[in-house]
Amino acid sequence: MGLAQILANGVVLGTLYACIAIGFSLVWGVLNVINMLHGSFIVLGGYLTYFAWAYTGVSPVLILPFVAAILFGLGYGLQYLFINKVVSAPVLTTLTLTFGLDMILYNLMTVWFTATPRRVSMDFGRLDFWGIAMPVDRLIGMGLALLLTALLFVVLRTSRIGRAIVAVRMDREAAALMGIKVNHIYAVTFGIAALMAGAAGSVFAMVFPVTTNLSGVFLGKAFVICVIGGLGGVSGALVGGLALGIIESFAGVLIGPQNAITVGFVLMLVLLIVRPQGLVGVKGYE
Amino acid sequence: MTPTKRIQAISAALAALALGTAASAEDVLKIGAPLALTGGLADEGHKQELVWKMWTDKVNAAGGIDVGGTKMKVEIVEYDYQTDGQRAGQLAEKLINDDEVDVLMAPFGSGHTKIVAAVAERYQIPLVACVASSTSVYDQGFKFLFGTLAPNTGMTEAMVAEFKAKMPDLGTVAIYGRDDVFPKSMATATSDSAKAAGLEVVYDELYPVGAIDHSAALSTIKSLEPDWIYMTGYTQDLILGRKQMQDLGIEAPIITMVTGPAYKEFTDGLGELADGVTSSTWWHHATGYTDVAGAWPSTDAFYQDFLEASGGEDPDYVHGSCAAALDVVADAASRAGTIEPVAMRDALAATDMETFYGPIKFGGNGMNQGREMPIIQVQGGEIKILYPENIANAGMTFLK
Repeated sequence: MGLAQILANGVVLGTLYACIAIGFSLVWGVLNVINMLHGSFIVLGGYLTYFAWAYTGVSPVLILPFVAAILFGLGYGLQYLFINKVVSAPVLTTLTLTFGLDMILYNLMTVWFTATPRRVSMDFGRLDFWGIAMPVDRLIGMGLALLLTALLFVVLRTSRIGRAIVAVRMDREAAALMGIKVNHIYAVTFGIAALMAGAAGSVFAMVFPVTTNLSGVFLGKAFVICVIGGLGGVSGALVGGLALGIIESFAGVLIGPQNAITVGFVLMLVLLIVRPQGLVGVKGYE
Repeated sequence: MTPTKRIQAISAALAALALGTAASAEDVLKIGAPLALTGGLADEGHKQELVWKMWTDKVNAAGGIDVGGTKMKVEIVEYDYQTDGQRAGQLAEKLINDDEVDVLMAPFGSGHTKIVAAVAERYQIPLVACVASSTSVYDQGFKFLFGTLAPNTGMTEAMVAEFKAKMPDLGTVAIYGRDDVFPKSMATATSDSAKAAGLEVVYDELYPVGAIDHSAALSTIKSLEPDWIYMTGYTQDLILGRKQMQDLGIEAPIITMVTGPAYKEFTDGLGELADGVTSSTWWHHATGYTDVAGAWPSTDAFYQDFLEASGGEDPDYVHGSCAAALDVVADAASRAGTIEPVAMRDALAATDMETFYGPIKFGGNGMNQGREMPIIQVQGGEIKILYPENIANAGMTFLK
């Protein structure tokens, strides 16, 4: 089988992975919170997209902004009301809190939506070029993932709120002294992370069947990607996601699919030993 | 009243009470059921609960079952074991000792059935399993365990033989299975059956639990151009697998997914893409058994009752097998003429009956042997039966 096809599979999968990880990386980097809710946010985004599509017939690409907005509200509210109360506590406390919130959200979704896998069954077809078969829905997903990542990059670099987020990430006390409302910034950051998760869910609903028990899988992937890519910037999730996607794609062909996931974890272990800040992470955020 | 008289009166009252309970206990066949009503297997546990309620309601409304000339009502005593295997074992002991059940029904799946079977064997209480198909459960030498599902190997051999008959130049098969108890055992059994029948297995790999992408494996399969692609897994894996086959432009005359089309969620999730996919299952409601013994005289009678009880949902093999398991218990009690456990066990071992679910006859290890398991295919969004001949309602179509 052609090298090009394996690489193309890996790149497309990798951008989808990046899409999973970006919000998780942001919250971990800025708030130092390991957000256990992240996987469920993605699944919630996927379900909202599915039901909106099933009842209105509108393309998921157009539904995406609305889902993202809803998730932003949810994320902002959760951070403002709950997580901010313990955000400066040791990382285990916030991890436990988000774990508990995740159990509530996960079980509510299972009750409301059941665990039946649901898929936006729109057939976008396939492109064949240079001997590579590439499904259009994955290409759309890839485009959206890159667009969202670029957008976040620009927001963090140029906007007032973006600069405030970066400032809080660098030094919380100093940022507070400069007049930045830290709690508000934390909530906005968490909201943006939830927004990215919701958008990722919308993208995924086009590509994968959505079911609640995927939330653990998404969370696990986000974790590995962040460790591989590194925290502290948008680029970490993108590099980590692409690296994992390409590695899994080649490993799946060369040593069999049942070992492909193991290879990702081995890479994570090696990086933790030799380069704990990740491939492109900023030292100090590991 | 003197103290002596008082004691006499109390004793008499107690004796009457004891006699009373003894009399009513004899008129009821108590069946114990540890069920996974919460936790990971909750969906499956509720399926068992639903059909057992349907069965007892129907049988009790008709007066009960005939045991040695007396009509006995049937009562199911159930506890939620929360999808925790060890807890299932403890609850089985409680059902035997505290609730004094006469027969036990096994919970969902081979693993949990094995745990409960060890308890039933220790107390010598018959145990009927309706959702355990791995031979490893039945080769432990248990004398009180019976199962209504047939062994996996029976399914795969029949399928290979049938496909070879329908497509004489069938030469190569790619097998891709989920690394999990049932899907893995089906993938292995198919690989063995295919090799034994002279097919070339060009791809034989497993994917891990939690895989969310199959493009690497499917791209390899595409380059091998097999005549037959056989994939096992759970509904979500199979929906994704079928879609990615389409995405990557993979075509093969035969695509089999186990147990995909046996569940309605599969065809719902795939729509037109499900068309042409074949599968094997232990039972499907389209199988038309008529004039049979048990609570329902035909498969259709069960289907109609089920539609009403479930609010329009279609039953799957779990529903069929579990409802038929109670037919087996009732039949054994009638033939034994008593509900004494050892006599019931012997009667169960001699079971040979036709039910709406198909024939049930236990082999030496307690597994149902008398079944030709249906091969099904999705055609025009509907499930059609290709095999066995006597209940087939469509010819096989090829995807390429």
